[in-house]
Amino acid sequence: MTRVRHGRAAWLTLPACCFAALGASRGIAVGQTPPAETPRFRFVDVAEGAGLTRVTAFGRPAKDHLLDSAGAGIAFLDYDRDGRLDVYVVNGWRLDGSRVVEKGKNALYRGLPDGTFRDVTDDAGVGGEAEWGAGVTVADYDGDGWPDLLVTNFGSNVLYRNLRNGRFRNVAREVGVEAPGWNTGAAFFDADGDGDLDLYVASYIDCTLRDVLDAKPTLPWRGLETVAFGPFGLKGAPDHFFRSEGGKRFVDATAEAGMQDLGLGFGFGVRAADFDGDGDVDVFVANDSDPNYLYRNEGHGVFREVATWSGCALDSNGASQANMGVAVGDVDGDGVPDIFTTTFSEDFSTLYRGLGNGLFEDVSRASGVGPATYRPLKWGAALADLDNDGDLDVTQANGHIYPQIDRHPEIIGTFTQKNLLLENMGRPGAPAFRDVTEQAGPGFQLLRSSRGLAIGDFDNDGRLDVLIAHVDAPPTLLHNETPGGSWLTVVCEDDRGGTGPIGAVVTVKAGGRVQSRDIAAGDSFLSTHDPRPHFGLGASDTVDEVTVRWPDGSRSVRRNVAARQFLRIRKGT
Amino acid sequence: MRLSTRRVALLAAAAITISAGRVAAQGPGPATPTEIVATYNTLADGILALKRTEENVCRTILATANAHAQVELGRAQKAIAAGDAKAAQTALEALAADVAQMGTEGDNAVGAVRKRLIEAGQHHNAAGEAQGIFDEGFVIVTRAAKAKLLDSSRAIGQLAHAPKAEALDAEWKKVQAVVAGLMKP
Repeated sequence: MTRVRHGRAAWLTLPACCFAALGASRGIAVGQTPPAETPRFRFVDVAEGAGLTRVTAFGRPAKDHLLDSAGAGIAFLDYDRDGRLDVYVVNGWRLDGSRVVEKGKNALYRGLPDGTFRDVTDDAGVGGEAEWGAGVTVADYDGDGWPDLLVTNFGSNVLYRNLRNGRFRNVAREVGVEAPGWNTGAAFFDADGDGDLDLYVASYIDCTLRDVLDAKPTLPWRGLETVAFGPFGLKGAPDHFFRSEGGKRFVDATAEAGMQDLGLGFGFGVRAADFDGDGDVDVFVANDSDPNYLYRNEGHGVFREVATWSGCALDSNGASQANMGVAVGDVDGDGVPDIFTTTFSEDFSTLYRGLGNGLFEDVSRASGVGPATYRPLKWGAALADLDNDGDLDVTQANGHIYPQIDRHPEIIGTFTQKNLLLENMGRPGAPAFRDVTEQAGPGFQLLRSSRGLAIGDFDNDGRLDVLIAHVDAPPTLLHNETPGGSWLTVVCEDDRGGTGPIGAVVTVKAGGRVQSRDIAAGDSFLSTHDPRPHFGLGASDTVDEVTVRWPDGSRSVRRNVAARQFLRIRKGT
Repeated sequence: MRLSTRRVALLAAAAITISAGRVAAQGPGPATPTEIVATYNTLADGILALKRTEENVCRTILATANAHAQVELGRAQKAIAAGDAKAAQTALEALAADVAQMGTEGDNAVGAVRKRLIEAGQHHNAAGEAQGIFDEGFVIVTRAAKAKLLDSSRAIGQLAHAPKAEALDAEWKKVQAVVAGLMKP
């Protein structure tokens, strides 16, 4: 008899005829796109012309093991501090049966004044050390003012320390963060308020390279195909928390910090933020097919896992979902951070609305997010103001993991899928979104099997662009050509000249609205966004007040600031 | 005397080996030797006893969480009465965690054990899962009970920052009603 599971496994056991019934039971409205009207958004893929051509190779064509289809993250960063965004692409290995054919090289692209990029990977020495790449997290871990790169791998992690001369050196072993395994999402953050950046690294499945190489598809899919097995049926791998010792080395302090992964959750996206507004940093972990974790900082770097009773572990039905990526932001303008997670196909992406004091409520259905995101398989995500109207829209990267479904596209679609753009309808206190993908320009009509996603203004024109990593394809760079409103980007410069102080929070008051953004290292699906907080201001040409709360608690304030500029604020001024 | 499952399995293997030899000497015959049937029956006793043991373990998990919750309830009520907001918050958050654990039939560590059993194909309530009565791997807590307990845990968590004695009592009554139904033999 068919056994119905939630999340990822649910749809595997359902015959095709149940698809329509399930959709109806979840109240999926047909035709959620808005009626014909002048498109508000326009995105165009400029990656190839810009020089972002590195093909990310993953596994075998049939994706016999989950590692073959997991994909990787991507990052915007400014490694050379020239004020222009650079791009880092993480790569995997190509396999032929059980043979390794190619160990793909990661890529660092330096942003140039004309909006194009130059491959500087070899010059910089950041090719990835021939590991099978997963995620990239950018942070100045050693506090010297220059951004460093943590690359999580299936294998040993790599930590590229920025040598400040365009080159990097892998210091993962000497500082103690190699942690061999299937490492995925990561976040740098100051757990104990001592001024150093500590590190949380999620892990997915406990398996060896031999397990991957010898894998065969064995999981029945709707009686039609057999696909890659897992994650259920495979053993989860424990996450790690590393405490920084003065920015010079890291010590595994997982147990001491209260962050033992007792459930051995299949960890993916990680996001550090102050979720309960008490001034210290908490950690959210999106788990695939397991309850999410919310490690609440109890003070001095000791944490307690509270996700279940705080309302962000499970969906509104009490079910675990196949959570992949995570995005955090205030979508309803109430001053409280909300959490958005991406999930498997035939399931809602979940919007947990923050209620204050670290409590959350699943509003996926009521907000329209759920029905709009039900069909695709979802990965990287961002809450970002993509039309500069003063509220946070949703964009997510989609793509399936089973190429076999291409033989039955009428059931759930295909391996390659369109990415998604949801417009925030701007209702204070009651988040509401509508799907505007079809009207968002040619960039959002591309079919790829997408994974990592990063947001940033690569051409410094005041509009946020979208960088997306795919499986077996070069990245996409969606140039934002949306005719939008006014804006302000704040460049926070710390006392070493660095421009991405992790943990800083920028608040802007303009046009009767108050907006806040935090600077985080680690976000989306194994990716890193542009570290410069960006604010859409709608019709406002002046900002009443800009406040930067620095990681050490000090503040910088500017008043009556002109909009449409990159406002540089130096700590201590 | 009840034998351990391991001993029963060893005896069964031995009985089968001896009987197989005897059967071979006698030539083909329709009936399974009585010794094998008897051994298998004993093995079945062990298997069924393990199922009951699993049920009892989960009842104990539930009962332990409920007992702990009772203690935290008492602390919370005392703190509210005394106007001690900080103590009330601590106790209410602990109570919320206990009620959540009842809803999920244990904490994350128990969840890992449940996952292991599911991975190995062990479903205590296979028929109930198929009918949507139980979530996968759950032994005592039904899906409906889980939803109610999780709702209550969130409600109690919200009270932690604005504690109200009457609201707490009302929520606790709901919790106890659900637990009483689950703990019925």
